Amino acid sequence: MASNASRAAGVTAGAARGAFRYPVSAYDQRSALLFLAPMMLVLLVVAVFPVVYSFWISLFDLRLTRPHRVPFVWFDNYAHVFQDPQFWASVGRTASFTVMSVVAIMLIALLMALLLNEEFRGRRFLSAMLLVPWAIPYVANGLMWKWIYDSGYGALNGLLYQLDFIDKYMVWLGDTRKTLPLIANAFVWKEVPLATILLLVTMKSIPADLYSAAKVDGADVWRRFLHVTLPALRPGFMLVMIYETMMAVRHFDLFFILTEGGPADASHVVAWEVYVESFRRLSFGTGSALAYIIALVTFLLAFSIIRTMGRKL
Amino acid sequence: MSEISSRRIGRRDFLKMSAAAGLAGAGMAPFGSGALAAAGDNLDFFTWSAGVDQVKSHLSAFESKYGIKVNYNNAPWAQYRETMVTKFVGRAPLDVLWVSDTWLPEWVEAGWLVPVDGYPELMKYNADASDFCTKSMLYKGHQYGLTYYTDYMAFFYDEDKLKKAGIAAPPATWDEVVEQSLKIKKAGLSDYPLMLSMARETWLIEFMSALVFSHGGRFVDDAGNAVMADRKQGAHAALQWVVDAVNKHKIVSPACVEIGELNGLKAFSSGNHAFALIGRYRIRTLNDPAQSQIAGRVKQALMPAGPGGSHATVGWMRFYGMTPRAAADKARAANAVKLIEWFGGKADGKYQFQKLMFLDVGSGFGVKPLFQDADVRAAYQKYADIAMVEKQQSLAQKKDVVSRWFGEWDEQNGTAWQSAIVGKATVDEALKKSAQSWTDLKKQS
Repeated sequence: MASNASRAAGVTAGAARGAFRYPVSAYDQRSALLFLAPMMLVLLVVAVFPVVYSFWISLFDLRLTRPHRVPFVWFDNYAHVFQDPQFWASVGRTASFTVMSVVAIMLIALLMALLLNEEFRGRRFLSAMLLVPWAIPYVANGLMWKWIYDSGYGALNGLLYQLDFIDKYMVWLGDTRKTLPLIANAFVWKEVPLATILLLVTMKSIPADLYSAAKVDGADVWRRFLHVTLPALRPGFMLVMIYETMMAVRHFDLFFILTEGGPADASHVVAWEVYVESFRRLSFGTGSALAYIIALVTFLLAFSIIRTMGRKL
Repeated sequence: MSEISSRRIGRRDFLKMSAAAGLAGAGMAPFGSGALAAAGDNLDFFTWSAGVDQVKSHLSAFESKYGIKVNYNNAPWAQYRETMVTKFVGRAPLDVLWVSDTWLPEWVEAGWLVPVDGYPELMKYNADASDFCTKSMLYKGHQYGLTYYTDYMAFFYDEDKLKKAGIAAPPATWDEVVEQSLKIKKAGLSDYPLMLSMARETWLIEFMSALVFSHGGRFVDDAGNAVMADRKQGAHAALQWVVDAVNKHKIVSPACVEIGELNGLKAFSSGNHAFALIGRYRIRTLNDPAQSQIAGRVKQALMPAGPGGSHATVGWMRFYGMTPRAAADKARAANAVKLIEWFGGKADGKYQFQKLMFLDVGSGFGVKPLFQDADVRAAYQKYADIAMVEKQQSLAQKKDVVSRWFGEWDEQNGTAWQSAIVGKATVDEALKKSAQSWTDLKKQS
């Protein structure tokens, strides 16, 4: 009896497995390849070739303004970058910018997600409003913050002055101690909505049973947040951390619009160095080497975040 | 280390591809179809996008007169250098183009410009040109073009504010600028009486050069060696003056390091300051009631002199250059020369285009006879003192730092000056760093 049943179950399972197996023929494979070929070709041209070719360029001392001499220098461009104190200073600034931005984004996004996860009047309106900064292009965002921070006619000075917090207009972006935090603030303002949505989606997927069980166990709001919400948010946090770290490390637009790396190199980050090297000095060899270094660092950062946080998922 | 072998991969192919990759990456792609499609006997003329309508109308007249067809294209000033370099590298068809004095050595050394001093029909206009204009077009003893537009850094003041502070005449020296600014400050007329734009942008070197030249100084000597760090030279005194003006006398806003030329113009025209260093051509805007709150009150004075200095200022120059492509063919070269003369010299016996650009958009001209032109004088009288404009122009000097490595050094020098202004470095440290950078780049070059 039992063996019959198991045989029958085996047949059913086999039939079920067979039902999901598509007949494979050489014709199908050829068709699939044929249909995929145009996109593969496009990807090869617009993605793979530039990536490989820019690495090739990074092995030459290629300066567009010196077209008659383009020596092959192996990894000299990389060595030159690593020996340059300016590069290490810009790495330090990039790290500061990244840490302060990502920490602020995660904290604010968490608070926003907690708020929007509650039912209250105007929640939908608030959710829609939240998307506004995200919808604004980076250049427009940069120009807006340039107006806000302007030391002569900026809205920030106007507001603080009218509220009697300051008795004369302050210098914002021109003060080397404030430059990076202010740019980070503009970056955070733009990035928080996406991070909030990612965390909110994760929050919505937490089973209500967990909260009910915690309540039965006598856990108060704080404990429920600490022991249910936070652990369940880990995948969302990981996603936000990886994405925002990558964005911050590579970020260029706000530095270009707000300060052009100044004043006195206060906002000279690695992405700015890539721009200066490639498009001001027109030194494509070193510029490509720098771009590869950024790409590698970004990859390693993402990898280490996944290794440390992902293991605990 | 081996050079790229022409057998394995053509250097030009490599560069073309690199340039194309660069353009694609930058998203600035006027490898315009118009330029690439150009062929035949048509001349290819490229400018930045200033006075486009005026250029087109003057070009139509040229085509009608000579029967020479011209393909005209332009790109924004902000991306002009990069655009042109990639065009040169990609061998895009170009015959005549606008060139800035700061790019001259770089473009000549790369073989992208040819001298025009073999054409007497162009050289005859040197007799009419301001001295610094002609000098700005010279490199290694050859002249590379004819004037398109020229201007200089001017010292402006708000006459009304000076009167209210009981000041009878504008300052003649930088010490007097401090003295009068403190008076104006004390009278509560302005928190920061002098507007200086010290943000890192292409204008910065013009502001710095004006300050250095008026202090009787130089960045480099005639042999091209850095002298900016020498305390006896004016660069030290000029930077020290700026540092003191910001930090000691507090007559210049510490925000000057974030204020670019355009924002500086806006700040001055909104009545926030009593004095300003701005390009001469801006006086038209400053005295235009539709664009300025201090219209009618802005006057020009000679650049104040530093101790041991003079009223010298810096002048800059944009000119018509010719490419090797045009020069390679006798007939094409002759047509290109005609085009350059039509725009940069006289058209039908008159300096038509420089005059047109002055009357329409206020661009400065580099030929002295136009100062005597009745229309020019009438236009100037509406918003400026033509005698002062002319006198200051005669004292303008070309930038002494124009070199093949200018772009790279300019970045370092701008940072050095800003470091001193914001107190991250002393004046000595900043100028030594700038001088060291110059010396290193010169050696590398």
